[in-house]
Amino acid sequence: MSDGLTRLVRVGVVLFVAALVPSLFVVIAGHNPWRVFTTLVLYAFGPQGWSEVLVHAIPLTLIGLGVAFALRAGLFNIGSDGQLIAGAVLAVFFAPYFEGWGIAGLIVFLAIGAIGGGLLGAFVGYLRAWFGASEIIVTIMLNYVMIQMISYLIRGPMQETSRFWPQSYLIPDDCVLPVIVPGTRLHAGVFVALVMVIVAAIVQRRTVLGFQASVLGANPGAAAYAGFHVKRLTLVIMAISGAFAGLAGAVEVGGIYQRLQDNMSEGFGLAGIAVALIARLEAAAIPFAACLFGIFFAGAGALQRELALPFPLVWIIEASVIFAVAALQWAVPSRKAAAA
Amino acid sequence: MTPLLEARGLNKSYGQLRANDDVSFSILPGEIVGIVGENGAGKSTLVKMLGGALAPDSGEILISGAAVGLHSPADAQKAGISLVHQHFNLIEDLSVEENLVLGRPELRHGVLSFKDLRPDFQAVADDLGTHIAFDARVSTLSVGGRQQVELIRALFHDPRLLILDEPTAVLPPNERDRLLRFIRLLKSRGTATILISHKLDDLYDCCDRAVVMRGGRVVGTSDLRADDRPGLIRLIVGAELPPPDTRHGTRGAPLVSVRDLVIHRGNGTVAVDHGTFDLHAGEIVGLCGVEGNGQTELLHALAGMWPIHAGDITYSIGEAPLRNADAAALRRAGVAHIPEDRLHYGIVTAFSLTLNWLLRKLGDTRFAVWGWLWRQAATKATAGAIKDNDVRASGPRARMGDLSGGNQQKFVIARELGDDAAVILAGHPTRGLDIRTVVAIRNRLVAERAKGVAILLLSADLSEVWDIADRIMVMARGRLRGPVPVGETTLAEIGHWMTTP
Repeated sequence: MSDGLTRLVRVGVVLFVAALVPSLFVVIAGHNPWRVFTTLVLYAFGPQGWSEVLVHAIPLTLIGLGVAFALRAGLFNIGSDGQLIAGAVLAVFFAPYFEGWGIAGLIVFLAIGAIGGGLLGAFVGYLRAWFGASEIIVTIMLNYVMIQMISYLIRGPMQETSRFWPQSYLIPDDCVLPVIVPGTRLHAGVFVALVMVIVAAIVQRRTVLGFQASVLGANPGAAAYAGFHVKRLTLVIMAISGAFAGLAGAVEVGGIYQRLQDNMSEGFGLAGIAVALIARLEAAAIPFAACLFGIFFAGAGALQRELALPFPLVWIIEASVIFAVAALQWAVPSRKAAAA
Repeated sequence: MTPLLEARGLNKSYGQLRANDDVSFSILPGEIVGIVGENGAGKSTLVKMLGGALAPDSGEILISGAAVGLHSPADAQKAGISLVHQHFNLIEDLSVEENLVLGRPELRHGVLSFKDLRPDFQAVADDLGTHIAFDARVSTLSVGGRQQVELIRALFHDPRLLILDEPTAVLPPNERDRLLRFIRLLKSRGTATILISHKLDDLYDCCDRAVVMRGGRVVGTSDLRADDRPGLIRLIVGAELPPPDTRHGTRGAPLVSVRDLVIHRGNGTVAVDHGTFDLHAGEIVGLCGVEGNGQTELLHALAGMWPIHAGDITYSIGEAPLRNADAAALRRAGVAHIPEDRLHYGIVTAFSLTLNWLLRKLGDTRFAVWGWLWRQAATKATAGAIKDNDVRASGPRARMGDLSGGNQQKFVIARELGDDAAVILAGHPTRGLDIRTVVAIRNRLVAERAKGVAILLLSADLSEVWDIADRIMVMARGRLRGPVPVGETTLAEIGHWMTTP
């Protein structure tokens, strides 16, 4: 069998399995797989759905960029949820001071969000570089710490003045990311995400820092040989990775919630890892991967509303897509891998 | 007799580079055939195709007269071909036995207890007459010990053809002799062997005939008559070898001063025990010793890559002396370092040549300013360097991992010596390289000495040290002897020093 034909058969098998597995579950749950599929697609590209897909793709893009940046250096940042909260909290904490600052207030608000996530990331990088702590464990643990912390803050020191709801005061209008398409929730955060994609792509390809990070990930011995300060580098990379998530936190507050509340992250951290991996850690591919996952985040609600499909089924469909993309990378090896 | 294996008209290209150009080759059952040629001659590509790791662009492979498709190493194994790579595929943190079990592809789908296989592995080891500690971690084994593990793994499937890629390059003399004995033992049982080697002595000691490759083509065969050695060399090189450079340097001021240096290994044992010596401008000091006696750690510490426990390393290159400086500062000051372990330190195989060039050039304002990379400048410089130093690659965008070992080494040397180096730390710079490259690298070091560069040459090849070094230093169990001028000592004395601390 020729190579091309083998490849075609492989792709066919992957797509077939990827469609079959979730279909089986959907059938077991008593639904029609075709209807589930068409409902999801029609919603995602429909008049209400498309903007919701993008709304969810914004934080997924930012988090995916941060995860990918760390992963290029061989560092696993599982703590984007925690860093997102850290960014949101710090930004909201300072937000009242920016009343009347106009556009400058918004920029400073977002920057402080990045700093909040960055500080938490830097802490993880410090533990990893100087004490050999596993960044995977530390970031997972810090997620719980941050979830508890925001829960305390919105019921205590940062609670709204009426002291009724578990939520913080509203941020000033200057810090709000305006809605850009009337009648939807799509806000200016989409521009923030796109700018950061460009920034990340430039850092990745054009800067010493991006180069050093990929050397560290590809061959740590070569990083030592080249004379990189590996400890400092680890700290900086984790800080930047956390800053992306922290920025996502500020963007979510500025664009959607306009205050702190529980469950702000909706599991973006884990999805962000999948986004980064599916995009093969390439900054330019991340927004597309984020939109794919945005379909599931936004479509889950629609499926539940229209077909009474339970949430776990949506996750199974989502998991099949992740598997399918991973399997396609096996089925169609890149030219580089084939030459190795 | 039908050949055990026959390759007909194999072609393989990487981009513009024709790695194998209409290669035909055959081997009879029980025959030992050497494949010899320069770096980049296409030997590794041919071997990868025979081992199922690489698919030819065209041509066919016949086994016992029948065409077969070798699409994976597992296919090759089924056809009775086992391959031992130059760089071992062992997991350092696992035991010997665990590594062997992982090498059995049938196990991927089933579950088998480790104990079940031990007698089988033991039988193979006994058969070879080798003793092996199955519970030892691979990381504790010598290079020769690791090779034994690879051999047992390769022989476990009872192959009809064993392919060994540069098996003697890293072996000390006694282990090399043992390996060649194995190969002859296998021949007596009907197993054929393809031996790829740069060392002509290996071929003359062990092989029935040698196939010579050059520029991706088979250019001839030799029946290895002792009186035709110069003819074989001409066939390999395609010309006469350049004569060795015999210029001497003028010994100048000490550029490196090491005083009472103590270095610990990662596990806390002493690697270097109160070492003291000077390295002067315009001299080559040879550093010898049996592997694992502290030379690696000494070289790493001199290059600023390993922490110093006590004592001082002082470089007096520029106006201000550099004391215990880090690798980046030393590089900027003009300390070139050719690491002894190229794959773990010297290069990043997944990156392009340009990025590998940048690896040690980030302190150079031509390539990096204020945190920005000038990739175009780097690409241009890389293109120039690979041309000037005869590195065989399709261009600066080629992936480092696609280059042969010798071309990778030539690249590292081009990168390190490209600027004006004041001190060169060279770790086994010619190990595993072909005849012409070895001469070229030695001549390069001698030329640098003539320019007044101070060179520390860590080498396992005593004859190399004898040929080009001015003084010689020996390490045994972390203790330094010498340096003494080469003319004032004998091979016997050095051998004695190497074994008695």
